[in-house]
Amino acid sequence: MELENKKIKIQAKNLNVYYGAKQALFNINLEINQKEVTALIGPSGCGKSTFIRCINRMNDVIDICKVDGSIEIDGSEINDKKVDVVMLREKIGMVFQKPNPFPKSIYDNIAYGPIIHGLAEEKNQMDNIVETSLKKAALWDEVKDRLDEPGTSLSGGQQQRLCIARALSVSPEVILMDEPCSALDPIATAKIEELIDELKKSYTIVIVTHSMAQAVRVSQKTGFFHMGKIIEVDSTDKIFKNPSNKMTQDYITGRFG
Amino acid sequence: MAGTGHTVKSYEEEMQSLNDNLVKMGSLTETQIAEAMAAVIKVDKDSVDKIVKNDGSINELRSIIDEQITTVLVKRAPMAVDLRITLSTLKISHDLERIGDLAKSIAKKVKPLPIDLPDELIGSLRRLGDLVQKQLKEVLDAYLNKSKDKSIEIWKKDEQVDDLTNLAMNEVANYLQSDKKNLEIATHLLFVTKNIERAGDHITNIAESLYYLIEGEYLEGARPKGKPIDS
Ligand SMILES: Nc1ncnc2c1ncn2[C@@H]1O[C@H](COP(=O)(O)OP(=O)(O)OP(=O)(O)O)[C@@H](O)[C@H]1O
Ligand SMILES: [Mg+2]
Repeated sequence: MELENKKIKIQAKNLNVYYGAKQALFNINLEINQKEVTALIGPSGCGKSTFIRCINRMNDVIDICKVDGSIEIDGSEINDKKVDVVMLREKIGMVFQKPNPFPKSIYDNIAYGPIIHGLAEEKNQMDNIVETSLKKAALWDEVKDRLDEPGTSLSGGQQQRLCIARALSVSPEVILMDEPCSALDPIATAKIEELIDELKKSYTIVIVTHSMAQAVRVSQKTGFFHMGKIIEVDSTDKIFKNPSNKMTQDYITGRFG
Repeated sequence: MAGTGHTVKSYEEEMQSLNDNLVKMGSLTETQIAEAMAAVIKVDKDSVDKIVKNDGSINELRSIIDEQITTVLVKRAPMAVDLRITLSTLKISHDLERIGDLAKSIAKKVKPLPIDLPDELIGSLRRLGDLVQKQLKEVLDAYLNKSKDKSIEIWKKDEQVDDLTNLAMNEVANYLQSDKKNLEIATHLLFVTKNIERAGDHITNIAESLYYLIEGEYLEGARPKGKPIDS
């Protein structure tokens, strides 16, 4: 299948994650292909967010969280002590369930990342980054005349695209999205999905979603998590037409619990 | 085959009702084919009108099933096995409807038939009709039991239907050769033979849909003889 000849961008090997004494992920092995969308699905509390937070080491900020095992990006270990976490997060952008613009202007929301990463030296360079990022996030036309207004003055769907633009502003390679559309209406959702289609040409995308239909629409590969374990990973087509595992089938057909 | 039922009970009920309607449609179709064949074999002209009239109930069920499937697709966006059941039911119901149409066409050809057709000719039609009826019964049973092995077996057996079709065609040709005045009747009988064979092809389609429903994959290779279905 087409999955075979894709380059692996992210590889999790024997990944175990604990919150204090409670284990949240059990021996996760998962390959994520470059310039492709991988969807992660599974019931609430199964560890999807925990998993994607491992990819940019966001779990580091949770005191009781301990991560064991390996995650390689382009073949190099990110759990290594030597890895500069700031650099890592520049490479791996993240978009959350609730749009969370900074309490700053639309412009500054985008400029913030490039400033801390030292990506622009002059004002016109920064203007350029802001414009391209907003264009890539399909928001430019809607905000170009109000860049000074607060990010929080935008609608929910626009805020989410602002957050995507913010993630894109530091030229990441990977974009992690944790239920990016769960607070959005169908039109805003369609815009984000259209954007995902566009972005996958240049970026590797991992999306957590509770919408089976969304997983089918946007992703090429799907992983089903259940109680901290990966139950099945396959092409999205296979998972939703003819999954191999009965638990996967029960979950996606609404036969759980 | 899906084991536990849907968490949403009304979804479960919708799928059940779809299944029930398909089974009902199958059993009506079985009766229609059986009666149409009996009418031919016995040259029973009195039963023709009833057979023609009963085809209406099959068509009606087809429309109901179409409607139900549209609703399931819109309401449930079925996935995996549910998607396969929905799609297969749609296809199978259309094949059953076509078989019903063919039974009706067969019955309509009975009226002009003479009562003294040669035994060999009647015999060859009976054997062909019996086999097709058996195939239909088995494919409907296989659907109820979700039997993959049976679906393959039925699919392969279509070759025998083709063989018996050829034999029946030969008998019709003999009948025509024996007296050129038989031309009109022989033409009717050729249609009858062809229609039975086509019913057989639809049964093969049903076996294929059933296999897909169960396995999530298409049956390997073309139909036994690679012949196109009726146009
Ligand atoms: N900060 C935390 N401290 C302690 N336990 C946590 C923490 N975050 C998550 N957990 C636990 O880890 C498990 C996995 O949680 P996680 O948030 O990864 O699930 P999820 O699949 O993203 O669920 P949802 O679909 O509801 O977002 C859960 O049992 C959860 O209670
Ligand atoms: Mg989560």
